[in-house]
Amino acid sequence: MAVELLTLLFNGLAYGVLLFLMAIGLSVTMGMMNFVNLAHGAFAMLGGYLGISLTTRAGVPFLAALPLVFVAVGAVGAGIEVTLYRRFYRSPQLTHVLFTIGLTFMAVAGATYVWGSQIAAMRVPDWLIGQTMFLGLQVGSYRLFLLLVGGAIALALVFGLERTRFGAMVRATVDNRRMAQSLGIDVGRVFSLTFALGSGLAGLGGALAVNFLGGIQPAFPLGYLLVYFLIVVTVGGLGSTLGALAAALLLGLADAAAKFYAPVIASFAIYLVMVVLLMWRPHGILGRR
Amino acid sequence: MAETLLAVESLSAGYDEALVLHEVGFALAEGETLALLGRNGMGKSTLLATIMGHTRRHAGAIRFAGRDIARIAPHLRARMGLAWVAQEREIFSSLTVTENLTVAARPGAWTVERVYAFFPRLRERRASMGNQLSGGEQQMLAIGRALTTNPRLILLDEPLEGLAPVIAEQIAQAIRRMNREEKLTTILVEQHAQIALGLADQAICLERGRIAYAGAAAALANDLATLDRLVGVRKEGARAISR
Ligand SMILES: Nc1ncnc2c1ncn2[C@@H]1O[C@H](COP(=O)(O)OP(=O)(O)O)[C@@H](O)[C@H]1O
Ligand SMILES: [Mg+2]
Repeated sequence: MAVELLTLLFNGLAYGVLLFLMAIGLSVTMGMMNFVNLAHGAFAMLGGYLGISLTTRAGVPFLAALPLVFVAVGAVGAGIEVTLYRRFYRSPQLTHVLFTIGLTFMAVAGATYVWGSQIAAMRVPDWLIGQTMFLGLQVGSYRLFLLLVGGAIALALVFGLERTRFGAMVRATVDNRRMAQSLGIDVGRVFSLTFALGSGLAGLGGALAVNFLGGIQPAFPLGYLLVYFLIVVTVGGLGSTLGALAAALLLGLADAAAKFYAPVIASFAIYLVMVVLLMWRPHGILGRR
Repeated sequence: MAETLLAVESLSAGYDEALVLHEVGFALAEGETLALLGRNGMGKSTLLATIMGHTRRHAGAIRFAGRDIARIAPHLRARMGLAWVAQEREIFSSLTVTENLTVAARPGAWTVERVYAFFPRLRERRASMGNQLSGGEQQMLAIGRALTTNPRLILLDEPLEGLAPVIAEQIAQAIRRMNREEKLTTILVEQHAQIALGLADQAICLERGRIAYAGAAAALANDLATLDRLVGVRKEGARAISR
């Protein structure tokens, strides 16, 4: 019983960390520019497919492919921000929604064209397959890897945002864009960099997710992924990194618990949790607005 | 006569289509302080926001240090030496006091250390978050934050508003030191007209977005009829604060 619970906790946290990596960029960029980027999941999908291509076709080792995916998807994100998104910051949010949904469908079609509609899986090194003993617990090696790597990145991110000057600029811009500008902060540049970082992390998360989810399909960014991202953002509170982390871990745990104890109502239970949380704290558990 | 630092010429501006300011013009020399007066809703804050670049300009020029800045972005105006202390203070609530001071600091005479020496109260609160401060502390921080960008011109929007008299007096003293000792060029919007006029060299009054008076601050301070007409007589208690 206790072992069961600990395993559940472990799996839930591993999933939560993965969700955090994929969703944090959406939370920060939405908090900063009020830009509703529903295409954020497409970056995760791109990361997943890039990871698959790099490891299986190009023969790049898994561990080397991860930073490459991060950089490549980050660069794509920056390119899209500069050429497309930038024109829409002053538009109404309905425009954002329609535009980015359209982009998502294009991304899905593009992925189907390039990678096919079948489920694609990733090859991971042998040491990431099977089970390992961790703190006296028999756990999946890949999940342990996810938890450690994802946890380290999440900590670095929170630390960077809290302790560096760039992090302070990001927070200042989320708090009050007009005042940040009035003090000489180039808000557009801060946003571009943040957007690139967020896209890169989504891509990295997507690459890490492939093996966790047992493969991905082109519809990846349209399905539950988008819904889960939005849950992380709204429950965590727009623009709050710690809030997003808390929400992602909670969601990961709730998902693992629901699938284990009540598989029939699992997907329903998640939304119930979300509704209750949002009724309790409409601006998110750690949100300010 | 010192060189002109800011020259506003037939400036008309507002929000979207609605004009708030009509053909406003004035000039401010380096080292001078200008009191910007007028009743509520007359356009004082809008004029400061327009100089900073946050409103819609319909016509006119804003020359700062010899360059027309009317079309350049707010952050570039700030880097040229404009600083704005907004009426609502607009402290970054998720930054600590120290971070509020360092986040946009630029090199120059005003370091964080110097701001702390200027406002010792802020040093005591340095680790507090922006949203944990009292009104007076917020105002000190808003001014200190503007100072650490080492501006050539500081725009102060009702810095004494809503503060207890003792705190208002401290802030007024600080502004006086900025003007007299540091020779920092200042535009001061203030409801307490006599305090503002006591600190300023020149004064302008806005009435429904137009300049209704422009002249020496000392002259306006003695012209109670004009003051009463354009600004309204203030509680006399206010006068005691600064003189
Ligand atoms: N953000 C805004 N959008 C639209 N109208 C505004 C805005 N801010 C102020 N106004 C209007 O502009 C006019 C001048 O306001 P303001 O500049 O704040 O006056 P003051 O600072 O002299 O009290 C008022 O009629 C006010 O309603
Ligand atoms: Mg005002």
